[in-house]
Amino acid sequence: MTKKIKTIIIDDEKLARDVVKSYLRKNSEIDLVGECSDGFDAVKKINDLKPDLIFLDIQMPKITGFEMLELIENPPIIIFTTAFDQYALKAFEVNATDYLLKPFTQERFNEALSKAIMLISEKSTSTKKIASLVKHVESKKEPLERVVVKMNQKISVIPIDDIHYLESQDDYVMIYSSKGNFLKQKTMKFFEEHLNPIQFIRVHRSYIVKIDQIKQIELLEKESYKITLIKGNQLPVSKTGYQKLKEIFN
Amino acid sequence: MSNPFIKNKKIFLIYLLIWIAIGLIHSSILFFMLDQEIEKVFLESLIYNFLYLLLGISLWYTVSYNTLEVYSTTKIFLNHAAAAIITSGFWIFIGYYLLSKVFESDLAYKTFLFNSLALRFMIGIFFYSVIVAVDYVIIYYTNFQQKLFREAELNALVKEAELKSLKYQINPHFIFNSLNSISSLTLSDPAKAQDMTIKLSSFLRSTLSKNEKQKSKLSEEINNAKLYLDIEKVRFGDKFDFIEEINEACKELEIPSMILQPLFENAIKHGVYESLEKIVIKLICEPQKEFLKITVENNFDPESVPRKGEGIGIKNIQNRLKIIYNHDNLINIERQKNIFRVNIYIPR
Repeated sequence: MTKKIKTIIIDDEKLARDVVKSYLRKNSEIDLVGECSDGFDAVKKINDLKPDLIFLDIQMPKITGFEMLELIENPPIIIFTTAFDQYALKAFEVNATDYLLKPFTQERFNEALSKAIMLISEKSTSTKKIASLVKHVESKKEPLERVVVKMNQKISVIPIDDIHYLESQDDYVMIYSSKGNFLKQKTMKFFEEHLNPIQFIRVHRSYIVKIDQIKQIELLEKESYKITLIKGNQLPVSKTGYQKLKEIFN
Repeated sequence: MSNPFIKNKKIFLIYLLIWIAIGLIHSSILFFMLDQEIEKVFLESLIYNFLYLLLGISLWYTVSYNTLEVYSTTKIFLNHAAAAIITSGFWIFIGYYLLSKVFESDLAYKTFLFNSLALRFMIGIFFYSVIVAVDYVIIYYTNFQQKLFREAELNALVKEAELKSLKYQINPHFIFNSLNSISSLTLSDPAKAQDMTIKLSSFLRSTLSKNEKQKSKLSEEINNAKLYLDIEKVRFGDKFDFIEEINEACKELEIPSMILQPLFENAIKHGVYESLEKIVIKLICEPQKEFLKITVENNFDPESVPRKGEGIGIKNIQNRLKIIYNHDNLINIERQKNIFRVNIYIPR
């Protein structure tokens, strides 16, 4: 193997990046191509430099490491470096190769690194398989508090409270919010599971609505309903959707 | 509960005075209304009333064993009726026996004594009733007092427990991230690593010891908060500045311990962590008429979307101040464009 492994370190603390840098220096296969101190910069650098491996902190300004990953099309091999141990499970859901708890030793670091190097040299599908397995055990998590989207190179963070409703559009979901409309590459199922059920309701196969945005519900024709939102939009309601609405408003 | 007539000097004295008064009334009736001779008046009053004085003290025991917690009302009533009859009977009999012995030759007086037995018996019952009633009042009053005392004690315990639960707790992530910085510095700048280790230790030590204390001097609190900021400064470098405007007169004043710390942590967490720009954290302490006003303010990125955990630290401070000073509005928050400001008012 003559080609070096392109690596980027993403951490908002310089000292934390320095540790990784100095640990990496001892490995000749690594080519450190960049360092980023926030998620926005990281999205840009990853898209530009197409690294094979990233070291990623979770808690960072603006957007977290996880949110950043959502904005990247073909994520490289990821090794998380963080002081937070409660994210370990979530880390493996996003195909992390390893999860280093700060502070960590050179030995522990090397272990993670050799795992990553092996994966890169194989470039196999094995990670994908593990990923799909993990997704099945994905447990009920805390509801989402914000959604990060990227449109035309601009990254926006939408607080959940600003969302009016969501509409399914093939492989994407269109988010209608007071900040504008954003397209996000996620499924309706994802949002149905991750949005707070006290705030949101799936009224239709293609629509999830924020409950406090509903102005009125009316009968269209036999067993067919529609809702009108405060902003004036009208959305269809399915039979099960209507049942759910009835439960909430009674 | 022991006999208050013996135990409590004040009650005993009052009891004694009442009996002296009764003795004087008794004497006056005998002397002015019944025209008895002075020596008979004196002796009769002394014997009868002194006797009941002693009996009255011992009635405490019939009362303290006849409480509603142990017996039913009817049982208590019957017990007391029997005791009243025995006590009064015993009383008039001893009195009659002693006086008729002393004035054995005075037939008229003996007849008077004998004829008045029924009335004296009634008076005995009356004394019994009054003394027993007073005894019950004393018992219930003391119990009530004890209950109040115990309640107050319990409240104090609850308050203490609440305060404990609201106490500042060191954020473990702060410790791990700091240790990571130290680990990094040992490679690049060992002297600085040592400096940071010492700062972290001092901060931990003073935080742990402060948590035992309820209040400490403002100057101590500021020093501790500065240690914290120094440590964060090593982590975040030029990402924030700290400015203080502290009126010298405030420094010796006492404030609840560890209330400044969470405010700075808040500023770091929501200002520095979330922003790409430089953050300025400002501490202002100024004395006011009735309060010491402490202000912590920082600029923040208004674009950043708040994440979970905001406000818990501040809410805890608010609750602590409320418990300590029994006052609701000792903290307020101002949010102007890109400035976040917390004002705390410590009563002086």
